[in-house]
Amino acid sequence: MAHQAHAYHMVDPSPWPLTGAVAALLMTSGLAIWMHFHTMTLMTLGMILLLLTMYQWWRDIIREGTFQGHHTPPVQKGLRYGMILFITSEVFFFLGFFWAFYHSSLAPTPELGGCWPPTGITTLDPFEVPLLNTAVLLASGVTVTWAHHSIMEGLRKQAIQSLALTILLGFYFTFLQGMEYYEAPFTIADGVYGSTFFVATGFHGLHVIIGSTFLAVCLLRQVQYHFTSEHHFGFEAAAWYWHFVDVVWLFLYISIYWWGS
Amino acid sequence: MDYWNHKVPLLASRAFSSSARQLRNKVPEAQKLFQADNGLPVHIKGGTGDVLLYRATMTLTIGGTCYSVYWLLVASMPQKKA
Repeated sequence: MAHQAHAYHMVDPSPWPLTGAVAALLMTSGLAIWMHFHTMTLMTLGMILLLLTMYQWWRDIIREGTFQGHHTPPVQKGLRYGMILFITSEVFFFLGFFWAFYHSSLAPTPELGGCWPPTGITTLDPFEVPLLNTAVLLASGVTVTWAHHSIMEGLRKQAIQSLALTILLGFYFTFLQGMEYYEAPFTIADGVYGSTFFVATGFHGLHVIIGSTFLAVCLLRQVQYHFTSEHHFGFEAAAWYWHFVDVVWLFLYISIYWWGS
Repeated sequence: MDYWNHKVPLLASRAFSSSARQLRNKVPEAQKLFQADNGLPVHIKGGTGDVLLYRATMTLTIGGTCYSVYWLLVASMPQKKA
């Protein structure tokens, strides 16, 4: 059996990049076909393929790291760089939507009544549910840090409890935001106010759901003894992502909910 | 005595017939399975389930590609005006 004379990870050939690329093709072309021919089959097929790809690709990474020992310190360093670069790209994604919001709100056009919020828009009270949402996410930032320290100190039960609490807080945020969306006195079609509000908060909400899912996977892994007190990068990546989601909310709250009301 | 550092490792290695609250640590078994010298790539090294899921995924991949080419041809044709 040949052994490598270096600490890096030469991955086994994998079909998932191809299936992922095809999933992207099917989702995008499926979107166009849905719009023009009123059938969702192609797009749905793409989404299913995307889920299958994500499940198997990330399952394989867990196998390579936890079961095969390929995630040596240099490899882990690369994974850290990767996660940081990804989160940075997401920061730029949100920056665009904040740019759009400030572009329209700092110099409101005559069509809006020359004011912000525009004439006719009843804004949400920033000191009601949005403030509760802020408290919920800040609390979840505390509980995820508690979970991290529990893992580092080898406290299995506390790690499970604090991680579960973090996820519950995430679900609570999503539930509250869902209720707000349902009850809101304005829609996405209500001019540039509606557009900027729902696109920015909507993408944020999607990221909360993604982050909660990532944390839930970490919870399953923690229960199954995957993490050690020294090596638990999957959890750290999820925690970084969660803090990023929290910070985006704080900017949304200050800019759109509070200043923009 | 520090419960978590002394008693728990001993408990974790006992075989539980019914796990009410505690799960057995199955990582060592998984490590043995995935480090077996059988030349299998990681995406099918877990067994039959892996192979079935891979085949289903690849079927959707190839089928889906053909289906998207079909719609490409439909969309390329002139639309009949009623």
